[in-house]
Amino acid sequence: MPFVLAAGETEEFEAPGPADFELPPVFEIFGFGVTKPMLIVVFATLLIGLGLYVAARRATLVPGKGQFFVEGLHGFIRNSMVPDTIGREGAKYVPYLFTVFVFLAVLNVSGIIPFVQFPATSRIAYPLVLAVISWIIFNYIGMKRQGVGGYFKNMMFPPGVPKAIYPLLAPLEFLSTVIIRPVTLTLRLTFNMFAGHLVLLLTILGGEFLLLHTQGIVGITAGSVSLLFGIVLTLFEGFIQLLQAYVFTLLSAIYIGGALTHEH
Amino acid sequence: MSNDPSDEARREQNAAWHAVSLIMAGVLFWGGLGWLAARWLDNQIFLPAGLLLGMGAALYLVWVRYGRA
Repeated sequence: MPFVLAAGETEEFEAPGPADFELPPVFEIFGFGVTKPMLIVVFATLLIGLGLYVAARRATLVPGKGQFFVEGLHGFIRNSMVPDTIGREGAKYVPYLFTVFVFLAVLNVSGIIPFVQFPATSRIAYPLVLAVISWIIFNYIGMKRQGVGGYFKNMMFPPGVPKAIYPLLAPLEFLSTVIIRPVTLTLRLTFNMFAGHLVLLLTILGGEFLLLHTQGIVGITAGSVSLLFGIVLTLFEGFIQLLQAYVFTLLSAIYIGGALTHEH
Repeated sequence: MSNDPSDEARREQNAAWHAVSLIMAGVLFWGGLGWLAARWLDNQIFLPAGLLLGMGAALYLVWVRYGRA
């Protein structure tokens, strides 16, 4: 670090990395370490459950603030996202999609909530499990609607193609639907949260280091700029976190819609 | 079904996500087989051949699914 050497400091800045996501257990239950992301998931679940319960229970004809917010969110999924992706049959899938969206939004945004400040979804297990659930749902719907054979036939053998070309094409459709869909659902969310958190760590920890652990005008200026940048990026990260929750939900809805009505 | 005006928008949205995933599948599958062939048969030409075949097949498939009127 040129700044540090120029200021005659010997302290080294330790750049944040993947190790910052391997948090030690906060406490142990029967030898099972409970980590911060686990606590976030538990508290988020309780918070969402309680919040939605209260909003729905005290529902009035003229909605209060909480009810208005929840109804707006639910209405957005039901009246905008689902009709655009699944269509008329979509009502059945609104509860799942709404749950996924709210759950992911809260888990993602936990990355910028003061004092929590860790996106639980940057640990791959959480997106993976949700992606597997979406995967099971759309495959099940597809097989139920089109029959097991019909589902794979419609998936792998689009009509109007010379028969000789099918061996070239069929594996691609299979791979795309059965393997790539759940993998990209998982990785897109995980690494967006991972990278976003890493950037925030870098700008904020780096700014703190430059400001407090180096001497001279250069360190103070660079540190202030870095910290300011960190604040701006925190707001931007909030936007990305909501966006990624939306994208995950949208894709789940698209996959369900595709399984219900196979394209010709 | 095709009289529903939102069907067209739905198709386009699906096409965008589906196309990306198909091209990935094409490169992975045929490129992967090409890579294996290149190793086993000790001839480097199979890897680029597989990659190109995969991309071509994927693009053709996108056209079959969404490009035809």
